[in-house]
Amino acid sequence: MSPTFKPPSLYRRLLIWLLVPMLALGTLMLIQAYLASRDTADRAFDRLLESASLSIAEQVKRQHGKLWMDLPPAALKMLASNAEERVFYALYDSYGNFISGNAELPRIDTGQGNMRFANIEWHDMALRLGVRRSRLEGWRNRQPFEVRVAHTREGREALTQTLFQGSMLRLIAMALLAIGVVLLGVRMALMPLTRLRRAIRARDPRTLAPLELTLPRELAELRETLNDLLARMRRVRTNQERFIGDASHQLRTPLAGLSARAELALRQDDPRAWHDALDVMRGSADKTARLASQLLSLTRLNNPESSPEAGDVDLCDIARQAVRDALSSSHRAGIDLGVETPSHAVIQHAVHWQLAEALTNLIDNARRYGASRITVRVGEAPRRLEVEDDGPGIPEAQRLLVLRPFHRGMESGQGSGLGLAIVDGIARAHAARLTLGAVHPHAASPGLCVRLQFTEESIP
Amino acid sequence: MTPDTASLLLVEDDALLADTLYDALSLAGYRVDALEDGDAAFTRLATPGHGHALVLLDLNLPGRGGLEILDAMRRHDQDTPVLILTARGAIEDRVKGLDLGADDYLAKPFALDELEARVRALLRRRQHDDGTQLHVGTLHFDTLTQRFTLDEASLDLPPREQRLLAYLMRHAGEPIDKARLLEHVFSNETLGDNAIEVYIHRLRRRLAGSSLTLRTVRGLGYLLESEA
Repeated sequence: MSPTFKPPSLYRRLLIWLLVPMLALGTLMLIQAYLASRDTADRAFDRLLESASLSIAEQVKRQHGKLWMDLPPAALKMLASNAEERVFYALYDSYGNFISGNAELPRIDTGQGNMRFANIEWHDMALRLGVRRSRLEGWRNRQPFEVRVAHTREGREALTQTLFQGSMLRLIAMALLAIGVVLLGVRMALMPLTRLRRAIRARDPRTLAPLELTLPRELAELRETLNDLLARMRRVRTNQERFIGDASHQLRTPLAGLSARAELALRQDDPRAWHDALDVMRGSADKTARLASQLLSLTRLNNPESSPEAGDVDLCDIARQAVRDALSSSHRAGIDLGVETPSHAVIQHAVHWQLAEALTNLIDNARRYGASRITVRVGEAPRRLEVEDDGPGIPEAQRLLVLRPFHRGMESGQGSGLGLAIVDGIARAHAARLTLGAVHPHAASPGLCVRLQFTEESIP
Repeated sequence: MTPDTASLLLVEDDALLADTLYDALSLAGYRVDALEDGDAAFTRLATPGHGHALVLLDLNLPGRGGLEILDAMRRHDQDTPVLILTARGAIEDRVKGLDLGADDYLAKPFALDELEARVRALLRRRQHDDGTQLHVGTLHFDTLTQRFTLDEASLDLPPREQRLLAYLMRHAGEPIDKARLLEHVFSNETLGDNAIEVYIHRLRRRLAGSSLTLRTVRGLGYLLESEA
């Protein structure tokens, strides 16, 4: 993770997901409140237009065969609110001819019923127009006419504003309350996370004890996973501590022996004693050196930081090289070392040096534990490496134990007890199966066949 | 050139190991120069004509590291054989060293026997390169006259056995499989696996009683070596 990259906060994410929809909803509610306020104001004022047009229509009379009206002042007062609106009225006959009034107002064609309303633009003024169709009932004929009344919108808008402001204040109060609740709720919900973090931070980095903390279900799973990891780390550390203890014992003992033997020899004057001491010391030094190099390769194998480069390797190639390397020393020891490989390459995805190391250790082991004939074999389907010898073998009950570091199959053997542990580590790293078996189970010297068989998952 | 005149350069900073190797190699009849740090070795080896027949080179040195010295040496086009001695036993270091032109590699700790055997092998390989004489122990082959001598006595061989033995001598100490023999020794002839076994068998009979053995390494082939 780059240092400049700031990971998203869970708290912030929750807030965004809760507050953005809430704000959107609030906005919709505000719009709706405004529309409702305007509607209410319109209906209230339309009622006034209706009453005004009715009182005008009641004053329409017939005079000299024509329609005529006397404008009732109350009708106009009714329409003029305290917002100083301008009021217009007109009387039209059934043919649309202007008869009387203070302005020529347009007609409304759409709509049904005797009373119709419309918003119109008239001489650069926004007007609300109400048209009432009525007629004068005479004994001879009926005469239809229209009363048109209009006023400017100031009163309506003032009423809309008043109504809307009330709703808006209520809505804002509710929104503030809701935001407060959400902030509090999210903080409360995330509290266990904070507790978990504090608990982890407050721990001594050396303790691997499980985390004891009551947490909600979702976080309890996280805690259990963490505790599992800690348990695995405890096991690893126990193994490591045992390994270090064993290793220091195994390294110190031969060094103490060397030093003591040298001291003893220096106290003596007999050159034969010196020679014997030197002989013993050389053997001991060789053994210690081998132990040290095996310890190092085991450490290297167990170090997760070193990422080995795996590639396609030819098992036959590795087997032949391992045999070639061990050839001269085996020959000097009178051991018949050979290799059996298919005539073509057997390719496996693996870490070259690790497989070479495994074979070196297996050949070495066989040599140290009394084999006189050792065969390195490469098999196909499934791909495998085998090292077979004719030595005393390992009893079945011991076969799992010998994989543990510092366990020695034979107390009289001259091994360090690390060879098979190294091979086991390499097999694990390759997801390969390591098996130890007897070559001739019922013979006096049953021999040992160590097989490293690659599996489907064998890609380290 | 015989071993007693060969001059070796030993570059090793550990005093105990350097002294021991100096004594051991001197006892074996070599002239040995010992250097302790990388810079001195670099100056000595970077100039052509230093006169050493073999360099034993440690990788972890004060001053310049062994790999750097080796690299510089090879860039000055020197073909003096180099035997690397190092505590870094890992394969990748070995590969790196061999890539840079080292001739052999010995991981510490090693047995003195092993070191002496490798030194002999490297000096012998060098003789092959510049001489007309091949030597493996008491067996000699003159490539000009095509004549073998074994324990000072002349060894007469039919042509196929002669070619076979000469090839095995060139690669002494290294197992050679039948496929390689068929390809390099009998490439013009159609010969079965069995025929090679017959010739090997005959050669073994001829070498019997000498210090030379012609071993079969199972799976790798035939190996000619001197027991001495």
